[in-house]
Amino acid sequence: MRNPLNLLLLLAMAGATVLSFLAPPAKGFQEPDLARIIFFHLPCAFATTAFLFFGAFAAIRSLQADRLLWDARAEAAHSMAAGMAIATMLSGILFSKVQWGAWWQNDPRQTSFLLVLLILGAYFAIRAAFQDPERRARNSAAYSVGSLLPNLFLIFVFPRLPQISTFHPEVIGKPGGFDPIYWRTILAVFACLMVAAAWAYRQRVRAILLEERLEQLDAELDSRKPSSADRVVRAVRLPEPDEPAHR
Amino acid sequence: MSAGLFSVSAVVAVWFASFGFRLPGGLAAGLLWVTLLFSAVVALPRVLLAEEENGTGDLLRQWARPQAVFWGKALFNSLQMVLTALALTVLFLVLTDLQIRHPLLLALSLAAGCSALAAGTTLCGALAAQAPNRAALSVAVSVPFLLPMVALGITAVRVSFGQGDLGGGWQGCLGLACYAVATFSGGPHLFAAVWKR
Repeated sequence: MRNPLNLLLLLAMAGATVLSFLAPPAKGFQEPDLARIIFFHLPCAFATTAFLFFGAFAAIRSLQADRLLWDARAEAAHSMAAGMAIATMLSGILFSKVQWGAWWQNDPRQTSFLLVLLILGAYFAIRAAFQDPERRARNSAAYSVGSLLPNLFLIFVFPRLPQISTFHPEVIGKPGGFDPIYWRTILAVFACLMVAAAWAYRQRVRAILLEERLEQLDAELDSRKPSSADRVVRAVRLPEPDEPAHR
Repeated sequence: MSAGLFSVSAVVAVWFASFGFRLPGGLAAGLLWVTLLFSAVVALPRVLLAEEENGTGDLLRQWARPQAVFWGKALFNSLQMVLTALALTVLFLVLTDLQIRHPLLLALSLAAGCSALAAGTTLCGALAAQAPNRAALSVAVSVPFLLPMVALGITAVRVSFGQGDLGGGWQGCLGLACYAVATFSGGPHLFAAVWKR
């Protein structure tokens, strides 16, 4: 391991994992020991939201100026958001099974998160549909900015509507929520996760920019190859029928 | 035409499924909105896709400002959607024998919802218009984009069918109106960004 920061991150993640097992079992759950899944479930959900909104910000910047660099950042942020959203869904499904007895509850928060994942899928469908980098950047950025409102509604408003009943407990900003040691552990795991995700995000941006450079070089090479249009046609004189073939 | 045919077929299918019993308000609201959603995503993006298929898109780009094109297409789509919703709701109510408890709430939520659906599908149609697989892409992109509006619409229409708290219904209707205003406000700017050749 060449970079000492990587070693430090590894140690911090190990420490956060140990901390999650030192926390007392959560009271009020069907399986108090397995309630520790939330130490990984909640930070993934927070990270999804953070990358989703950073992706929309990068999309706005790509519509304003320096399209391809900010487009690479927007795509990388959306990729990270999709990865984190899948991790949130999987840990949530596991939590649902062990605590509420079914893999998929008819829970508004689960459903709204699934819709966020579908919106992310639509973003990548738009990217896949266009070959031209400029048009791909422009259209996907417009979709990302346009889907900011549905995402805000699905994450912050819909699960909190008064007529909606959810299994998810309201733990942020409400008295009687988590024990302080739970919050400390969640924040520690979140910090480690964000550092690791930020590293992965930077690698992804570099990979996207390198892919684009490679495509440009390929296009330049193709344009230098001699094509059928470049061939020179010289006038030739065909021998007359009565003319000897070899003179 | 395709929206109308799709809507009528969907309502007749719902009628077959609910033969012999009365639909609960929440389920009826859900079915009505799902039918409206799919008739919108099938028909409304066509106004932009047809411009590209017929080659008239470039003429529009040369002669009209993008904002003007968006407003024209979105208002036409709104009108088409309101007419579709009106016919669909009347047919739905006749076939399923549902009682309306709050007609004003139903009318306003359908009007706000149709405007929001029209603005959203116009934008999604513009995003997909220049793609090779434009028809499939416009549907795939529109559905997740519009589902949050459908959730608000179901909240409002369910109450107008007599299930749930009246305050919650008006809250859903207001949410839909805000959604429509936000989509109509942001739509022209995003449309202008993607409409260029």
